[in-house]
Amino acid sequence: MRPPRSRQLWRRATESKLFFPVVMLGFILLVDSILVPGFFSIQPRGMNLYGSLIDILRNASTIMLLAIGMTLVIATGGVDLSVGAVMAIAASVAALLMNPYVLAKELPPHLMRLINDPHFTFQPLWVVILVTLLVAMACGLWNGWLVAYVRIQPMVATLILMIAGRGIAQLITNGVRIQIFYEPYAFIGQGWAILPFSVYLVAVVYGAIWVITRRTAIGMFIESVGINARASFFSGINEKRIKLLAYVICGLCAGLAGLVASANIKTSDANNIGLTYELDAILAVVIGGTVLGAGGRFSLLASLLGAIVMQAVTTSMYALGVPAFALQAIKGLVVIVVILVYSEQARGLLRGLGTRKEASP
Amino acid sequence: MREKAAALVANNQRFIPLLATALLAFAAYVVGAFLYPGMRDPQVFFNILTNNSYLLISSVGMTLVILSGGIDLSVSGVIALTTVATAAMLREGANPWLVVLVVLLMGMALGATMGGFIAYLKVQPFIATLAGMWFARGMCFFISDDAIAIDHPFFRILSLTRLLIPGLSDPVAQRGDFITILTVIAFLVLAVVALVAQFTKFGRSLYAIGGDEQSARLMGLPVPSTKVMVYTFNGFCSALAGIVLAAFVASGHGLYASGYELRAIAAVVMGGTSLAGGSGYVLGTLFGVLILGITQTLIQFNGSLSSWWTNIVIGLLTFVFIAVQSVLVARRGRRRRALAQAGAAGAPSAQRRRRMWAASAAVVGVAALAVFLARPQDSGTPAAGTEEAGRCLSKPFRQELADSLVQAGALIAYERNGGPRCLDEIYAIYPDGLIVGDNGIDRIEKSATVEAVTDLLGRIRDHGWFTAEMYNTWHNPCGQCYGYYITVSDQGETKTVRGVDGGTDAPADYWQVVSLIKGIIPEFEAGP
Repeated sequence: MRPPRSRQLWRRATESKLFFPVVMLGFILLVDSILVPGFFSIQPRGMNLYGSLIDILRNASTIMLLAIGMTLVIATGGVDLSVGAVMAIAASVAALLMNPYVLAKELPPHLMRLINDPHFTFQPLWVVILVTLLVAMACGLWNGWLVAYVRIQPMVATLILMIAGRGIAQLITNGVRIQIFYEPYAFIGQGWAILPFSVYLVAVVYGAIWVITRRTAIGMFIESVGINARASFFSGINEKRIKLLAYVICGLCAGLAGLVASANIKTSDANNIGLTYELDAILAVVIGGTVLGAGGRFSLLASLLGAIVMQAVTTSMYALGVPAFALQAIKGLVVIVVILVYSEQARGLLRGLGTRKEASP
Repeated sequence: MREKAAALVANNQRFIPLLATALLAFAAYVVGAFLYPGMRDPQVFFNILTNNSYLLISSVGMTLVILSGGIDLSVSGVIALTTVATAAMLREGANPWLVVLVVLLMGMALGATMGGFIAYLKVQPFIATLAGMWFARGMCFFISDDAIAIDHPFFRILSLTRLLIPGLSDPVAQRGDFITILTVIAFLVLAVVALVAQFTKFGRSLYAIGGDEQSARLMGLPVPSTKVMVYTFNGFCSALAGIVLAAFVASGHGLYASGYELRAIAAVVMGGTSLAGGSGYVLGTLFGVLILGITQTLIQFNGSLSSWWTNIVIGLLTFVFIAVQSVLVARRGRRRRALAQAGAAGAPSAQRRRRMWAASAAVVGVAALAVFLARPQDSGTPAAGTEEAGRCLSKPFRQELADSLVQAGALIAYERNGGPRCLDEIYAIYPDGLIVGDNGIDRIEKSATVEAVTDLLGRIRDHGWFTAEMYNTWHNPCGQCYGYYITVSDQGETKTVRGVDGGTDAPADYWQVVSLIKGIIPEFEAGP
């Protein structure tokens, strides 16, 4: 009775999208626990908690936000390369809305004082956030329109905004890196309420998207469009609108990530905010087991874990004293490991291992 | 007559994207020459070829990859790694031929590894080459954190030998318009690859795989080995582009060429190659690269446009070309379906519509470009040089003039051009303290003391002017930046170093020398 059941369990575990991210995360944490003393210690300072694990969560939050949107896009069989550029656009829009005086050449003294005032904002915070997110969603709409209605391949369609986006972001701020002094805005990226504020933000976005995709039929529609867009169309799903929705949500997530990133460094840096983040986000989704290029079944939680895995690698490398420049090479090697783990051969081997274990006793 | 033209179009419709690109490149150049007299100098055109020679090489390699239905994001990483590896090996005194051989092999090995992952492990090209990019970029910094100067005669010959253009130059005096060996290398690669893609088994397999991999496999084509070969070849191209870049800027650094894979992909797409694979021409990529180069030159000549317009215009052009392509593909598909249903009856009107689409798309592209470039002149944004913008006199460095000034006894020849007001100033500083400036319109003179000049020379020497620490740098100058070309002759040594501000690649001492020279020379009065 028992062997077949445990074999079944093993099978189900290995086939779950959560399996590899969890195993990888466990492996990384295991290495840390052996090599880095005090890696798991969490110190309370006042009400707030600090420590390497909290750091991982906090630093991963931008990638996690991107990964949520990117998961939906990749599940429809697409990809969005423009998220990094959209982050830069969002940061520029937000910074400009808060302090347009920065761009002026000459200012009367009473306005000049406002530039460095931590309590001054030109527009109230909710307007800043709303307009920024609307702009980001418009970027997503543009991508989605190109992919769904003009029928351009996703990689190419989003490449356009990826190239032009940073130029647009610089155009918005006239090439100036606007410093952000407004304190409540900085709270989005640097705030702490027991846990970092950005972690709550990720949790809320994840919850909302989970409800949208798993408590309504939209999630199933997305998967069906990813598996076969034509068949979905014939079975009555408006595949174009589903794709459009996925890209708009991805734009929204990128806008939020842009807010967090710019609030974190208190600057709108059009050249560097979100640079190469699209690659990190795609990688997080791939680690989470959603298949790039083919789409279909997806797991938001697995993508979040994927983002955490990537950040855990980075943080552990710093903790181990690996120099910053070597990190990129190591990231490349991690990708290669992920590739090998996900190739059919490796999966087959692992499954074979499970069955042989059952057979021997 | 009309039917004949229609038949001609119908028979050659696969060349339409290629033709549109060539037309647009030509139109952009004509518009530029019309707006900016300085651009009529043929040397400007040859400089576009020289400055973009490494982009051309990597774009040609990328064309093959994209024709096979893949994509290669690793090119910029491999280019950077090549420049660093080349510079590091030369610093250790290795034989230059050996260095070239080793880095080419390294590029091919990287390409082959990625190709192996893609062909045999069925990894998405996007992911595999992304890993390759990160790996290569990381490796750069294992070799060296800082830029390494290249000061080797072999590389100087590569980058500085002038091949004079017959008819536009004076071969006896060695003056006139020229290209460099680097340009010739790029065009050789282009020619070879264009021939290979059209006339060999390998080329035809590429098109077949890109068109439909499943059918290619069923036809018995060697799909995996062809894929490995194409990525290996692109690795070779990236390494070659890296060597060309290293020779061009006479240094190597891990941050060079960042984001160049995007430029290469944009050039390929603009060249009429479909990113879905299986259709396009290697020759089109040349025009794609030319469009990028001309766009950049136009923005530099305009002077009042900021550098970020380059990216916006490139994005826009990419969009226009992709839209044209997708319209063409959709029309072709519709026509095929119509033919299958109703015979050839509907064909002529479909052809005419297609022709109109291509023509109108080209017009839209040119119009968009013209509008973008004309805009700031109409609205007259910040006062900087609004008047000069229309007739910008900026030219390539007047190297011959600088050389002849030094030969005529000047100790320092200092040229600065570009910037927001399209300056082109050249100064000569003589041993007796005489300083002569010439901005192409006016001359200016000043007498400094002999001691001041001797002191200046001494301090320039102290900044390591005649050591390997002072090396040429180059990056795409932004609209607001100046290019500098400085020749110093002291105690029998003469050395020329050029650089562009607005970046971090040039040695810090270089800018200190620039500010030293700026401190002594007289200034032209700004504007009329």
